[in-house]
Amino acid sequence: MNRKPRRTFRQRLFTVLESLPFLAPLLIFLAILYGMLAWTLYVSMANWVGTAPNYEFVGLKWYQMMFRLDRFRVDMTNNVKWLSLGVLPTVALALFLAYMLEIGSVKRIEGYVRTLILYPVAMSFVVTGTIWSWMYQPDKGVLNTILRAIGLTELIGRYTTNPATATYWLILIFIWQYLGFAVIILQSSFRTTELQEMVEAAIVDGASKLRILFSVIVPNIRGGILILISLLLISALKVFDIVYVVTFGGPGYSTDVLALFMFIATFQQHLVALGAGLGMIIFLMALVIVIPYTIYAFRKWFE
Amino acid sequence: MRIRGLSTQLIVLLVTLVLTGVYVLPIYVMVMTSLKTPVEISQRAYLIPTRNLQFQNYAEAFRLIYPSLINSSIISFAVTLLAVFFGGLGGYYLSRSRSPFVRVLFILVGVALYLPYQVILIPLVQLMAKTRLALTYAGLIVSYLILNVPLASVLMGTFFLSIPRELEEAAQVDGANRLQLFFRVVSPISLPAYASTAIIVFTQVWNEFLLALTLSTPATTTIQVKLAEVKGSFVALYNIQMASALIGVLIPLSFFLFLGRYFIRGVLAGALKG
Amino acid sequence: MKKMTPLYSMLLVLILLLSACGPARTPTAPAPAVTIVVVTATPAPEPKKLEIFHWWTAGGEREAADAMFKAFKDKMPDVEIVENPVAGGGGVSHRVVLQARLSAGLPPDTWQTLGGAELKSYVDGGYLEPLDDLWAELNYAAVIPGPLAKAVTINGHPYVVPLNMHIQNILYYNKALFDELGLQPPATYDELIAVAKAIKEARPEMSPLALGTKEKWEAAFVFDSILLEVGGPEHYVKVYKGEVDVKNDPAYKEALQKLEALIPYIYPYHAGLTWDESCGLVVAGDAAMVLMGTWAIGYFQSRGWTPGKEFSAVTFPQKPERILLFHPDTYGLAKGAPHPKTTIEWLKVVASPELQIPTDVTQGGLFARIDIDPANFPDPIRRELQTYVRNNPDKLILDQHGSIAPFSFTQAYWDVIAAFIAQPNVDGTLSSVADLLTTYNVKAEAAWYQWP
Repeated sequence: MNRKPRRTFRQRLFTVLESLPFLAPLLIFLAILYGMLAWTLYVSMANWVGTAPNYEFVGLKWYQMMFRLDRFRVDMTNNVKWLSLGVLPTVALALFLAYMLEIGSVKRIEGYVRTLILYPVAMSFVVTGTIWSWMYQPDKGVLNTILRAIGLTELIGRYTTNPATATYWLILIFIWQYLGFAVIILQSSFRTTELQEMVEAAIVDGASKLRILFSVIVPNIRGGILILISLLLISALKVFDIVYVVTFGGPGYSTDVLALFMFIATFQQHLVALGAGLGMIIFLMALVIVIPYTIYAFRKWFE
Repeated sequence: MRIRGLSTQLIVLLVTLVLTGVYVLPIYVMVMTSLKTPVEISQRAYLIPTRNLQFQNYAEAFRLIYPSLINSSIISFAVTLLAVFFGGLGGYYLSRSRSPFVRVLFILVGVALYLPYQVILIPLVQLMAKTRLALTYAGLIVSYLILNVPLASVLMGTFFLSIPRELEEAAQVDGANRLQLFFRVVSPISLPAYASTAIIVFTQVWNEFLLALTLSTPATTTIQVKLAEVKGSFVALYNIQMASALIGVLIPLSFFLFLGRYFIRGVLAGALKG
Repeated sequence: MKKMTPLYSMLLVLILLLSACGPARTPTAPAPAVTIVVVTATPAPEPKKLEIFHWWTAGGEREAADAMFKAFKDKMPDVEIVENPVAGGGGVSHRVVLQARLSAGLPPDTWQTLGGAELKSYVDGGYLEPLDDLWAELNYAAVIPGPLAKAVTINGHPYVVPLNMHIQNILYYNKALFDELGLQPPATYDELIAVAKAIKEARPEMSPLALGTKEKWEAAFVFDSILLEVGGPEHYVKVYKGEVDVKNDPAYKEALQKLEALIPYIYPYHAGLTWDESCGLVVAGDAAMVLMGTWAIGYFQSRGWTPGKEFSAVTFPQKPERILLFHPDTYGLAKGAPHPKTTIEWLKVVASPELQIPTDVTQGGLFARIDIDPANFPDPIRRELQTYVRNNPDKLILDQHGSIAPFSFTQAYWDVIAAFIAQPNVDGTLSSVADLLTTYNVKAEAAWYQWP
């Protein structure tokens, strides 16, 4: 850190050598990652159809075809639904839960609730997805059976078999799956000494619980909330397994999303170039989402 | 911070009950299904317990998934250890250097975290084939490292940022170089960060399906691939699949419990004060 | 000393890096041998090994695969079989793995593929060796039905050896219920509607026709049967060869309208079920009939139903003539296969009755060879079907899975038909289908298929 102001060549070489063990692995993996991204970008402008690679350059042909497809429009609409409805309710719920666990609970309840809502993170979605498709079955599925049993027949729904609402029910599974993760992240950002002291002070001042939440806690955990929102946005954007297992994009392609279409285009339709193009679209959308976060993180990091 | 009060207690109780319902129900259905026969599953009476409990489903499931549990453990633990190690090194550098190069690197790493990995599936497989790593443990391990080292670097770096520099400066005066600083001073006090990063990486690798499907052979089949396989395509043995999943979840769950107490004091704890 | 330490540490890191790649050389992973053989020139003595990809992973199919390998082991006892079974309905995941491996230059010796468009995509990619000599040696074209040979012959060369035939258009029904209500299994669309009406009246809580469209192709099965009856077999082939102007085609439109009229009798929540769950509806008494391929026989048996007793089956439709829509499971020889000689031996076994009889009886299809006695089948359904194929080998047409049209079209087409059953819109569907036919260039891509 406190080097002499004038550095000799030897000293510079020394810093490079010194930083190499720290940076080398990261640099290697990053280089591979970006190399593959460039490759995908090129393939999206090549004419690869079928099982054999074809690197003939055709420009934006596949992007033009993509924009013409009705399925692509459905996907974009659905992805926007996922991004908005999958993220904000999860954050709100998680904030409420984390706050509740912090202020009002007994130690044992906290541990119980945390384990309870965290297990979906540890479990294979191939399996929990199958369970959810059984939960949602309209005629004999779990939810409707329960509703019938307790007499709430007017609440009985068609869930994922109704093309108009199916995506919303899928998003609900996403919230179920990520809630525990979100609570953990928020809880850990509660746990700073400064914040704890501020809350104690607010309690002494006799502030109401809601007031403490919105005027003391939320402004002080902006960073945690922002990280959470970005992580959730990206998971929602990349969402694949929930749709794949529970509806496979159906009814028809009404619940299809970009990631699933990309999978189908590449491996089922053998339109590898189109699949690569869809991948680039997902990546571009991710960039748009990530930019504000990266700017924020960048400022915090190098302040 | 604890605020006690009757209304708060009531809300807590109510919310806990609702959560219990929402989160126990799927597990209940899962356990019930794992104990049924295929014929009973066709009846779709998911909530009704069977009178004829098929505990041998678990024996059957264990027999089927045992090798893949070993494979998954080898791969996940290897990736977790290496990713956390490399991530720690990279993250430390990111958090300590202020050069323009590192600023660019930071952005590149940040963006890399959000690559949808389906985008790189085909080039990755081609790369693995060219380097002759495909179809081996090493191939899967390296692939997962490529995807997880940037993430681990950012997570670890975030934590290192919160460590006061005074400690390092004191050691530096004593003549320690960077690596010694990192291994002797910084790493020992960063164990919680290592633990949380390990949990995140482990979960990602353990649950990954698509790459494992593409790059594995019968000798390296992971648990996720096996779980998709035990159901079969023409007979639909959901009971065996559910039993397998319940056995399979024990490993990540015990790993969580083992490291869990660190998790809450996790990476974000100190670093993001506002 | 102080200057040495960073260098020393770097070395340490390098060693760690190398050891990260270490497991490739441990004996626990037997696969590297395969990889190396691919890349190096063919060594003089070929290792006694066969690497094979298939998707028969569990239940009855696992046993069928075992029967297959047993037949091979009987002929070639010293060959080690390295199989890579990849699960997933009809080989969905299997194709993901194969595509990645093939484009990376890591082919197995041989892999399971359906005939028709899927096979063509491998042939077009240059991944398969033509098998003219083997076919001539075995005289295989003479012992299998003509349409089956045509389905695996691309640009004049046979590329694979089929080991079975699956029939798509079979209507399974609850026999006890039909007996009780005095119903005859329907042979035409009108009879199907009549039967469905009768069932709906007698059992209002029951869906006459089960269906699960989660994987989409199931929807096309139902539509195909109707289209086959309305337009006849020549028209059916022309539609999927892209030679019909679907938008202005009265027969296609009529078939869609008839499908729409059938919807009230179909299980309403089909979008949430896979095909096996839809057959489960029949077993559980929630539905009376289901249109499904021959593989459903194995499913019903696994649920304790005996063919001819609890359930029975007819091909549907039987008018204007009794056509069987089919696809084969086949194996070929990879270009650049690590063990080509062993693979040829394997293919000879695949063509033999010694393999086909135990495998097909277990797995659920018909024998590819029509010189095998149909009496080998334990169930009356397949005995009857095999006898029909034996006497009328030209009544076979490629189905949805075997696919006359290219896969790029077929996948999108299934979605459209599944969407139609969820929300019928005849004119919208007509233009969507017409659109898909041009977008995916079906006319040129499907020109290879000849029928009759």
